[in-house]
Amino acid sequence: MSTLIKLAGGTAAWADDDFVMVGLEDSVPLSGKVILSLSRYEAEAPAILAQGRKVGVRLEGADEVEALAPFLADLSVIALEFPKFRDGRSFSSARLLRERFGYRGEIRAVGEVLRELAAFMMRCGFDAFEPTDGSTPEEWAATVHRYRHVYQRAADSRAPAFVEREA
Amino acid sequence: MKALSANRLIDGDVVFWANGSWVEQFSKAELFYDSAAQDAALEQAKSQFTTVVEPYLFDVAEQGGIFVPISYRERLRALGPTNEPTHGKQAQGGHEIAALAKAVGGGHTSGRIDLLRKN
Amino acid sequence: MYLYDEIDRDMLADRASEFRGQVARRLSGEITEDQFKPLRLMNGLYLQLHAYMLRVSVPYGSLSPVQLRALAAVSRKYDKGYGHFTTRTNIQFHWIKLKDTPDILDELAIVGLHAIQTSGNCIRNITADPYAGATADEVDDPRVWAEVLRQWSTFHPEFSFLPRKFKFAVRASPKDRTAAKAHDIGLVLRRNRDGVLGFEVMVGGGMGRTPHIASTIREHLPADHLLSYVEAILRVYNRHGRRDNMYKARIKILVASLGIDEFRRQVDAEWALIEQGAIDLPPSELARIRAAFAPLNFESLPAISPTFEAERANNPALARFARNNLRPHKQPGYSIVEVSLKAPGATPGDATAEQMELIADLGERYSLGDVRVTHAQNLVLPHVKLDDLPAVYAALAATKLATPNIDLVTDIIACPGLDYCALANARAISVAQDIGEKFTSPDKAELIGELKIKISGCINACGHHHVGHIGILGVDKKGEEFYQLTLGGSGAEDASLGEMLGPALAYDRVAGAVETLVDTYLSVRVGDERFLDTFRRVGVAPFKEAVYVDAH
Repeated sequence: MSTLIKLAGGTAAWADDDFVMVGLEDSVPLSGKVILSLSRYEAEAPAILAQGRKVGVRLEGADEVEALAPFLADLSVIALEFPKFRDGRSFSSARLLRERFGYRGEIRAVGEVLRELAAFMMRCGFDAFEPTDGSTPEEWAATVHRYRHVYQRAADSRAPAFVEREA
Repeated sequence: MKALSANRLIDGDVVFWANGSWVEQFSKAELFYDSAAQDAALEQAKSQFTTVVEPYLFDVAEQGGIFVPISYRERLRALGPTNEPTHGKQAQGGHEIAALAKAVGGGHTSGRIDLLRKN
Repeated sequence: MYLYDEIDRDMLADRASEFRGQVARRLSGEITEDQFKPLRLMNGLYLQLHAYMLRVSVPYGSLSPVQLRALAAVSRKYDKGYGHFTTRTNIQFHWIKLKDTPDILDELAIVGLHAIQTSGNCIRNITADPYAGATADEVDDPRVWAEVLRQWSTFHPEFSFLPRKFKFAVRASPKDRTAAKAHDIGLVLRRNRDGVLGFEVMVGGGMGRTPHIASTIREHLPADHLLSYVEAILRVYNRHGRRDNMYKARIKILVASLGIDEFRRQVDAEWALIEQGAIDLPPSELARIRAAFAPLNFESLPAISPTFEAERANNPALARFARNNLRPHKQPGYSIVEVSLKAPGATPGDATAEQMELIADLGERYSLGDVRVTHAQNLVLPHVKLDDLPAVYAALAATKLATPNIDLVTDIIACPGLDYCALANARAISVAQDIGEKFTSPDKAELIGELKIKISGCINACGHHHVGHIGILGVDKKGEEFYQLTLGGSGAEDASLGEMLGPALAYDRVAGAVETLVDTYLSVRVGDERFLDTFRRVGVAPFKEAVYVDAH
């Protein structure tokens, strides 16, 4: 059963998660797509990539996205953790990845992920979510579109109010 | 000795556990004399999360024939704010409210049980 | 005054609708209290001692008569017929039911009011000088920038789950009527040598467990870069503020631990990478907001009003009110009128629905539709003609709103304290009332002069006790109400933190101690020194000795 929701073109849907999240102590599967924690990425990713496999990375709340700058071209997915849903560091991380580093791959919210925060996450550049509150893609899509306007620019393409007013 | 209090979810009113249901007056609250009973009640209260918010146990002592919360804070919850006697449960009046208010000493004394004994 | 356009109104409506859904999901059990609590806090809804408390935002302390009447109506329909004005110039209702809150927010939204981000670990109400637009000593109208910040900070997707709450204050005058140096970011509008408008940006002020006076991170930031620069500050804070200990999570802790120079370096480095053109407001939007605060159509009047002078000469009560509650207005023939919510025996900062409606009427009729809230929990009619003062005074006096005590000993700031607040250790309201009973003579109060007493019921310092000339902090000593007194704090431009007087005092000793402090001051003051000046000259020793000499 899928636990991954992906946003694309304004709609949300269940998606197959064919990436395996490799825990800190786990050995890396011999085939297939994997997500490594940041501390393992630099050492272990090149060999996996060389096999033609897709690799992603998982950042904890305290990990800094700047560390990914050299690897962005190879990263299929970046999983940013919300250790508790109230820990908002990953909002900054996602936004920097999109706006400052131009990352275009999947940015996935993991950890304690609640649909009430969907709009914030989407605006900061998340496009995939592993919800922990039993929510559905329909609920995510509804939450993302709760607000007709936004006041400020973020990582998404929504025009802020001051642009709307100029029109 | 303890009693169990919470705020009602829907309106925030202070309520007290009384044998499986919630009452609005402290004078009707169930008193617990053993930790097994109070812990069981607390667990049950916590499971009622669409009825009450943040249930907790607090200390109660006997004074002059009635039971009173030991802490001043709990007495305020049972009575209402001291700056406005017409607000809160104290406005209902009645003999139990009066007795509890007297235990507080008109709102201007401390909550220590020792002071109660002196009175 | 900024009137909400369709976009602003849509925001409030969408928020109210979202909250209605969240409340329904909480009541049905679909979300837990743990999940719901940050959501309700972001809508200013607290669960307090006796009931829910709703904190309605008063952006930069500015209210229209229509809004005041709506607040009065809410207080009648859903609460107990009164509201409480706070030290962040918001208004609180203390007897709210969760199930009514969606309807309340809908009704408030109609008049452009809301409870957005009045709690929670997000950017809170932007406060500003309550005399904005009326005082001669401002270089620009701080409300313009407060509104700019309000919009930028509302539902900011990156900064809604900060390590802790975040408070801004903005002023444009050499005098600080906002306690800016006690804020996470304090902004002072100034023109530099070349006449360019900009901000002195100060960071890391705050009260609470570890009070700090803010440090200057930038002496002069060109005004049109405000948003990109504060975005840099917030990002550094969001990424690096502590999340392990809620008592060490404010930005003041981060600034103190890095040191202001390193903190500045990090902010400047971040700012250099921000695409300022994308974040800073375009000139057209700035102009649109600025136009909302354009100078009002004041009449051309003589500086002296014969009507007022005659009445004042014949009415000692009016004369006393004029001495204490009026402040100079930039336009000849006008006055700023402070309305005290500190009547004898009243709860500091409270106003009944009738009082709110009267002030709405007075604001409409005599103050160009403009009413303000101060961080001292009082109200202001900022644009009253001197000619109208007698009528305004009479109306205020009839509703217990004419207490002539602004900035005097009985103009006490007090948080709701243990009577209402789930966080409190001790009561604050009754302490304020007890102190008031020691100073019932208005003559004595005027003799004492400016004396700012501030009372907090707990270390969260909502009463701003750290910056009181006399600060009083409620502590819990073995279940009893005790109070720690401090002296010499100031929230004005000469900001300072209070110094401890001595061991905490029991409840029934506090008012007497304050009386002793005042007597000591009167006995050693020189010339027209205020209490604060005398303290700064003689130090704590004579006060401590006087208060504790009869301790047994």
